[in-house]
Order: sequence, then structure tokens, then C-alpha cells
Amino acid sequence: MSHPVLTIERLRVDFPGVVAVDDLSLTVDAGDVCGLIGPNGAGKTTTMRAVSGLQECTRGTVKIDGHDLMRDPDQLKRRLGFMPDFCPIYDQLTTTEFLDHFARAYAVPDRPKRIGECLELTWLTEKRDALCEELSRGMKQRLVLAKTLLPDPQVLLLDEPASGLDPLGRIELRKLLLQLHEVGKTVLISSHILTELSGFCNKAAIMERGRLVMSGTIAELGRTMHGRRMSLKWREAGDRALHILKAAGVKNLETVAQGATFEFDGGAEALDGLLKTLVVEGVRVTEWRGSGDDLEQIFLHSGAKELM
Amino acid sequence: MNLTDNPIFLTQKRLTHRAGVLAAALIAALVGLSLLSGLIAYLAAPHDFDFHSPQEAGKLFYGWTIGVEILVLVLGGFSKISRVLADDRKAGLWDSNRLTPLKPAEIVVGYWLGSALREVYMGAVLAGIGLVIVILAKLPITLWLGTQVLILGTMLFFGLLALLAGMAFQRPQSGLVLLLPLFFLQMFSFTFPRFTIVNFLLPIYGIANLFQDPANHVHDYSSQAWSRWPEIFTLPVPPIALSLGLQFVVGIFIWRAAARKTANPFQPLLLRWEAVAIFSLLVVVQQALIWGLWHGGFGITPDSPSLRNETDGAPMLSLVHGGTILVGVLILAFASPLPERVRVEALRTGLGNLRLVFSHSAVWLAVALSGIAAVASATQFIFSFKAHGTAWALAAVNLLLFLLMFALVLEYCRLRFKRRALGFVVLCLFVLCILPFILAGVFSNEAIAKLSFLAPGTVALAGSGSNDLNFLVGCTFAQFGVVALLFIAWQRQWRWLLAPAAPVPPEK
Repeated sequence: MSHPVLTIERLRVDFPGVVAVDDLSLTVDAGDVCGLIGPNGAGKTTTMRAVSGLQECTRGTVKIDGHDLMRDPDQLKRRLGFMPDFCPIYDQLTTTEFLDHFARAYAVPDRPKRIGECLELTWLTEKRDALCEELSRGMKQRLVLAKTLLPDPQVLLLDEPASGLDPLGRIELRKLLLQLHEVGKTVLISSHILTELSGFCNKAAIMERGRLVMSGTIAELGRTMHGRRMSLKWREAGDRALHILKAAGVKNLETVAQGATFEFDGGAEALDGLLKTLVVEGVRVTEWRGSGDDLEQIFLHSGAKELM
Repeated sequence: MNLTDNPIFLTQKRLTHRAGVLAAALIAALVGLSLLSGLIAYLAAPHDFDFHSPQEAGKLFYGWTIGVEILVLVLGGFSKISRVLADDRKAGLWDSNRLTPLKPAEIVVGYWLGSALREVYMGAVLAGIGLVIVILAKLPITLWLGTQVLILGTMLFFGLLALLAGMAFQRPQSGLVLLLPLFFLQMFSFTFPRFTIVNFLLPIYGIANLFQDPANHVHDYSSQAWSRWPEIFTLPVPPIALSLGLQFVVGIFIWRAAARKTANPFQPLLLRWEAVAIFSLLVVVQQALIWGLWHGGFGITPDSPSLRNETDGAPMLSLVHGGTILVGVLILAFASPLPERVRVEALRTGLGNLRLVFSHSAVWLAVALSGIAAVASATQFIFSFKAHGTAWALAAVNLLLFLLMFALVLEYCRLRFKRRALGFVVLCLFVLCILPFILAGVFSNEAIAKLSFLAPGTVALAGSGSNDLNFLVGCTFAQFGVVALLFIAWQRQWRWLLAPAAPVPPEK
């Protein structure tokens, strides 16, 4: 049974002349990795800052494991780890000293051991005596993540963790996030780069202009889509396959080498029927892939714009 | 939490040591040893110098030493603390620290005592050399102790001010704005050193008093001005105690503001009751300091004999009035709400009307501060009210008008010009306060010259001595008109801000 750990209810944040977050409600269960998706300016960072307590809300409630942010901020500080979209570090400290600063602030027991663990988890053990200013951007991101993990928080808020990282850095970060998912951390992660989130988010919330457009598990969101993008590949009888697809009324049919992509408006049963027809008519299907569980597809169907 | 366990203090210590402290300590030592060698040279060959005694030489060299020490600890420390805090805010580190379970007070202490450690080391070196100078010159050890305690108290006081500057301003150097009014008032207060509060808020009088030689000042009036104890309602108080007491009490308010800002940066720097309390304290102490001059009979009781030895007391009230205006303006600026805060409050409560504005605005606070100042200054007129009550009333009304004008202009500019507000506030104040004088100076016509009386405060400053009472009353009415116009514009701007803020219905 799902256990809600992070509950946001009717959150509203106002900035001069603009409602940055408008009536946002979202629940993230224990162990969920929820992607907060939206174009630049959608209100993702403001939501993250409001949930962490850095941004004052006009109204609404944020609860972590039942503790209200407004009424019990101290409990929240111990249960929540927030990683902002930039790297707040003391350039002139070593990585160990930097982590020691926050380990003391969080009153972490057995500080040296915990610092070592976090450095290892973020592959920074070799840099334990390096000055923070000597680290690359990716390493700095990982160091801030290590700092966030120090008190072993129940919920992690990661705001655009891969922004500014090179491809290798992104791969490393992705591995790390998968690791966190495996150890059962509840994560709310924002990004406007969908490929960052694909693969390990089991939940998504799509924002645009401060409002939540849709949210749910990836499977739930996939089911809500009508025009589902499909990819078909065949070994022979391609002409027959194209004929069947046209007859079935698919849209945006595009042929590629030994295959085609198209959009299909029907439900899951109709889609199964289409595949059956193809096989019965002698089309040797080598690939039949729906991209309905892709965050990109979900996002495109949400109506939000301007995504990378 | 012990200071040595405070992570922010420890980090600041690490950062200070990593940046290097040896060179700074050596510079301080070099300066201090140069002064010490001057004294040693005198002691070795006294006839080569103009000093009358080793004590006189020692005071001069020790004076220079603590001058450098004050520069390093007070001004250097202020600059360093405000810069560290502003930089950490910009880098997001302040927010990172606020998200930890550290209490706001622990964060404030960490920055307060940890940021200027290099300056503290330099100060310690200078203090040590100063002690050697005092011993060699056979000066009383109380001189060293007293001056060091005053310097330490002032360093801590300015450190707290620096925290506020670092929290309030984006650019660290902007924090120096906080110090300018103090130094501005200081310039004028040298005429009446024992009677102006600024000489005690800064340690000037306390230090100068310690340097006085009781045997020498009997016939030396200039020295007499610095050698007596200040009086609070004629009760003599040691200057060190008065300085430390004032710094401590005002420091508590600044501390509260810093801790509140750390807990929630969206809070105002001063709460209304704090603004009233801090203003009352300063105004009452100031009036208490000058009570002994006329004992409530300003204008009919002759100036206190001790003052006549120093200077004529007539301009004293004008100086106090000017200082009250300046302090009132500063407090109103700190307590004035950010318009966006009021708009959010309107959205929260669903009350998008002027009642909400009045409950947050500094306009009522301006009225309260004027009332406090008027009551406090009335103490000087208790026994001469019949003869000089009109002058007092003019001064009180004028203060009210000026503070109202300032509060209205400040909020209007914040509403109308947002981030560019500061420039427009300065422009408005220039038009209100300086332009009349310029016009009066440019035109030789006497009628136009009288325009200078339209500048707020001038009526009050001239009030007691002017024969043309009708003219002054007329000017006051003209200023009422200006306030009324500003009030209309201010009201319109608030309505304009709150109108589009459609109230969010309260949760069911």
C-alpha cells in the first residue's frame, strides 16, 4: 500500500505581477521518484524552493511525512534534502571540510565515517583533500549531492541536477540517481531535459505557467494519451503493412528503412487488434514498440510547450 | 552549541586561515612596533622631543595605536562581515545554512564572530603593543583596560550592524550607508561632546574621557568638555558604562532583527514595537543628557554654567531636532514594509483594502515616532511652556510633517518605481529639503529666499528665534498641503497594487 511522504496541497506562490505557482497539489509516495517536468519558467524551481521552505508561499500546505512545513519547520529540515540548481560551495574549503561543515550543522553522528560514505557514493573519494574550487562542474554537482545526502534525508528535492553537465557527467549522475532509487529514497526531481529523467522516474508531474497540467505514474499518464506514437519494423511485406496501417486510419505515418512510425488514436485493445491484423496478413513484424511510456510522449500530449 | 562547535564559525576560521593571517598580523605588528619605537626613542633621549612627560608621550603613541586598532576592528570588521554575508547570500550558502537544523541565533553568531577573525588577530597584536606602551609610559592600566573594553564593545556593535547590512543589501559596500548618518551626526556633536548621544553610541567620549588628565583640565575649557561625566537627568554616569549600556541595548534590537531575518528573510528588519522602543530609548536618553542644561526651563533658565564654559547652548535643541529627524528617517526606512509583502498578505487574508495597508504601512509609525519625540522634547519646556510653547509646538508639528512626508515618499516610490525606488526617494528628498535652499540662495529677493523655510525641519530649527511667527505657521500649513498631496498619491498607488490581486478564497 502506498504511503504518501511528500504532500503538497493547493500551493500558491506570488511574485510581483505573476503567479509563479498556482494551486498546485501533488503527492509523492515513499520510494517514488517523481519527475517535475516543464519548460523554463513553468515554476519548477519556485515549487522546489517553496517545498524546502526557502520561498514564502502565499497559501497552501507542504507536509513531509505528516509534518507541516509551516508549523514544524525543524522536523522538515531533518527529513528533507534540497539540492538547488546551482552549486553553493565554499571554494576555499576542501571537499571533506565542506562536508564536515554540513555534517556538524546536521549533528550527524560519526562524522568522518559518514563523510567517507557520501564521498564514496558520489565517486569523490579521490578528491577528498582537493579544494572545492579545483573541482569540475560535474564534481561540484556531485559534492552538493553528497552534502544533501549527509543527514540521510527521507525526501530528496533535486532541482535541475544535470544542468550544465557534460554528457559523461550526466551519465554519472543518472547512475547515482538510479542508486538512490534502488535504496528506496523518495525523490522529487525537476528538469526540462526529459532524457535525464526517462528510465528511473516512476512518476511524473507536468507543469506549465505555474499550474500542474497532469500528474501520476508513468503508466497512468501513458493510458491517458489518445494519439499514441508507435514504431513498427518488418522484415518483408512492407507495402502490405503500409496499406493495413492506412486502412486502420493511423496519423502522421512516416516510413523509415524497413519500418514506419505513426500515431494511433485507438485504445490498447484496438492497438492489439492492429498488430494481429498485420501478423495475420503476413507482415513479418520484427519490432512493435509503443512510446507511450516515454516521458517525452507524455509531455507532448500534455499540451505543454518549449521543452528541450 | 559552543562557539568552537559552531560550523559557521569553524568554516569562517578555516577560510580566514587558508587565506593567510600571518601577513596581516605582521603589518599590524609593524605599525604597532613603529609607534612603540617612537616612545622608546623619547624615553632614551627625552630632550630631543617636545613632550613634557613620559605620560604625555605615552598617551600620544597609545592614541595612535588605538586609532589604528579602531580602524582595523571597527571599520575593517564591519566591511568584512557585511561582505562575507552578502557573498554567501549571493552564492546560496546562506540559504544552505538556513536549511540545516542550526538555529537562527547560531547562524548569526557564526557569521558575527567568525567572519572578521583576521581583523581580530590584527587588533589583538595592536592591543598587546598598546599595553607595552602603557606600561613603559607609566600610564594607568585602567586607560588600557577601559579603551580596550570600549573598542571591543564597539567592534561587536558594529559587527551586528554589519550583519544587517549584509542581509539587507545586495552589494556589500552599500552597507556603509548605515554608518554615514552616525558619522554625519558625529561631526556636529563635537561642539557639545558631553550632551549628544552619538558620542556615547560611538566610543568617542568614553575614550577621550579616559585620556583626560584630571590635574590639567581646571583652566582648560576645551579639555573640560571631555573630562566630566555625562549626566542622565543630572545623575552623573561613567561614560564607559553609558557607551556600553547603549551599545548593549541597541545591539539587542539589532540582534533580534538579524535572527528574525535569518529565520525568515521576508520579515521586516524592525517590527513596529521594536521601532518604537529603539526610537524612544534614543530620544529619551538624548533629552536626559541635556536635561541638566535648563532643567525644564528652556529659554527662561540660564544655560548650565558648565555648558557656558564650553559653548552657548542655544543651538543644542536644533542639533537634537536634526538628529531626531535623521534617526526617525532611518527607523522608518527599516520598518517600512515591502509592497509585495502587503500584496501577498492581501491575497492570504482576502482583504485587499486600505485597512490592510494601514496596518502594515510606516505612515502610522511616523505619527507614533513624532509623538514620542514631541513628548520627550517637551521635557525641556515644562517650566517655560507659556513663553516658548509655540516654538515647541512648531517643532513637533514640523517633525510630524517631515516624518510623514518621508514615509509617504518612501512607500510611494517603492510602489511606483520598484527597484529604482531608492534613486527617486533621494530625488524627492532633494526637492523637499535642498531645492528650497538653492532657490533661496540663487534669488536675492527676500520673498524667494524665504522659500528655504518650506524645507521640512527648517521651521522647527528657526522656530525658537524667529519673530515672524505668522510666516512660519503659514509654511507649516503649506507643508500640510504637500503631505495631503503625497497621501492622495500614496493611496492611489496602493489601490492600484492591490486591485489586480484577486483575493484567494480561504481554504474550506
